[in-house]
Amino acid sequence: MKREVQAVLLVLFGATVLRISLFSDDYLRYVRTTQRPYLIAAGAVLVLLGVVSAVVAMGALVRGDTSGGEHPAGHDHRHSGHGGPRIAWLLTLPVLAVFLIAPPALGSYTAGRSDNAAPKPTADSGFPPLAAGDPLAMPLADFDSRAVWDKSHSLKGRRVKLTGFVTPEKGGGWFVTRLYISCCAADAQTYKVEVRGTDAPPANAWVEVTGVWQPNGQAGRDDAVPALTAQRVTRIQQPRDPYE
Amino acid sequence: MTDEMTIAPERARGGVPDPAPAPRRSRRRAAPRSRWQRIGSLEVLVAGMVVLLGGRVWLGRWLHAGWLETWSTVFVAICVQALPFLVLGTLLSAAIAVFVPASFLQRALPKRPALAVPVAGIAGAVLPGCECASVPVAGGLIARGVAPAAALTFLLSAPAINPVVLTATAVAFPGHPEMVLARFAASLATAAVMGWLWAGFGRPEWLRPPVRRDVAAGAARWPAFRAALQHDFLHAGGFLVIGGITAATLNVLVPRQVLGGLGSVPVVSVVVLSVLAVLLAVCSEADAFVAASLSAFPLTARLTFMVLGPMVDVKLVALQAGTFGRLFAWRFSGATFVVGIVVSSLVGWWLL
Repeated sequence: MKREVQAVLLVLFGATVLRISLFSDDYLRYVRTTQRPYLIAAGAVLVLLGVVSAVVAMGALVRGDTSGGEHPAGHDHRHSGHGGPRIAWLLTLPVLAVFLIAPPALGSYTAGRSDNAAPKPTADSGFPPLAAGDPLAMPLADFDSRAVWDKSHSLKGRRVKLTGFVTPEKGGGWFVTRLYISCCAADAQTYKVEVRGTDAPPANAWVEVTGVWQPNGQAGRDDAVPALTAQRVTRIQQPRDPYE
Repeated sequence: MTDEMTIAPERARGGVPDPAPAPRRSRRRAAPRSRWQRIGSLEVLVAGMVVLLGGRVWLGRWLHAGWLETWSTVFVAICVQALPFLVLGTLLSAAIAVFVPASFLQRALPKRPALAVPVAGIAGAVLPGCECASVPVAGGLIARGVAPAAALTFLLSAPAINPVVLTATAVAFPGHPEMVLARFAASLATAAVMGWLWAGFGRPEWLRPPVRRDVAAGAARWPAFRAALQHDFLHAGGFLVIGGITAATLNVLVPRQVLGGLGSVPVVSVVVLSVLAVLLAVCSEADAFVAASLSAFPLTARLTFMVLGPMVDVKLVALQAGTFGRLFAWRFSGATFVVGIVVSSLVGWWLL
């Protein structure tokens, strides 16, 4: 692999990283918001490295030094006997994926294939009282956690507002779902709530669901999916950070 | 003297790869002028990019299939997430290669491998990163003359026992402080056992000989640093992509719903989560949260998941194969897998 190509690959890859981290919020589809500074730094290092390397390669070309400034024959180079590592061509794949497919945040395809992961309360003391508000906007994880694990039924009779995307249920019905990532999209966990009383919006549509908890006898199990009787379902834009 | 500075020599002029790969260790030769050389790799790269980006218009509908979008999201996520650590790792590795005198490292570690191994294991606690950073650093240490047994122990322990990972573990298992201790102990013990095994039974020919990068006194260090960084990054980056492809594919293919039913059988549960750790290739800074969510499984099985995850997974095998050679990666990962299960089960039985 020629030095110019190595330089172009580095700039291309680094610029792609900057494109999704510095110049847009696209990185939020893949990783958590805390990783932004590290992505920007890594992208900048690669672009800088590529530019310097291009300048060096240009200089060598101008001088007519066809070996690209490296040292000529007689050198047993075991590490990659073919000059620049040929495997580096693979770095074009993530670049192509970002620009061709523009991978969206994970959605109903993932949610439909995983169990609900209602977070178990960490302390034995149970849940603190619910905050005031009617309807009370709460994260899906909180709703799931209280609906499944709260023995004092603090959700009973309270009107809540949940924000998530639509995942169709096999055999009719639908869930309002939200994914949680702890580091990157490879470790996504699903929170879901079955919505009753309305027709299903299209899969992956983002909605705000206002309604009341409907005990469905599934409490106390790890993969239990609580239910909600909807009074209102509003279509909304996808939030800036699609994960909870 | 000049040869010693060489980092990534080019094959004279030929950009396009040979149709048949030349055997490794082939000497450089003057490439004959052929019709292949009229089209260089730069032209291929640019033309390929233009064609594919143009193809977006026609490929449009096909590109939005649910499985493909999910696969590419996970693939890009793994690459993006690992990238800062890979850059950090290659920066450190290049810095070790160029700026740290070999005599310093040799003095810092005990002479006898049996003693150097635990010291290197504990030294792993100072590299705050995930497994992607530790592979190039371990490669750099070996290239600098550190005993392979010690460098490999460092490779295994660094991503598992550094403060960032242990803090994440404490946060993920709030009711179980003993989990942090168990993870620390089991990871360090596994890393040390693997180091001692290498010192006792490892054969040098399994390990691809590292590139020597001694910079002669008085030679310019920054160009050597830049060349080392560029070569290491392009190399490791390529293998990261292979790992990302593998992990994303398995991530999409392995339905997690199947796993739930297997959690209650003691021995089976440990094996199932060990295999899952290898297949999912979750970053070591996040695997505690995934382990915490696998609540159908006993704590010992989840401990095994967290011990093996940073040491053996599909992404890591690809990275290790790139740095140390395939011959090494399979043997070493296979042995680590078995040792990790045994050590975690013992520690789990003792502490959890």
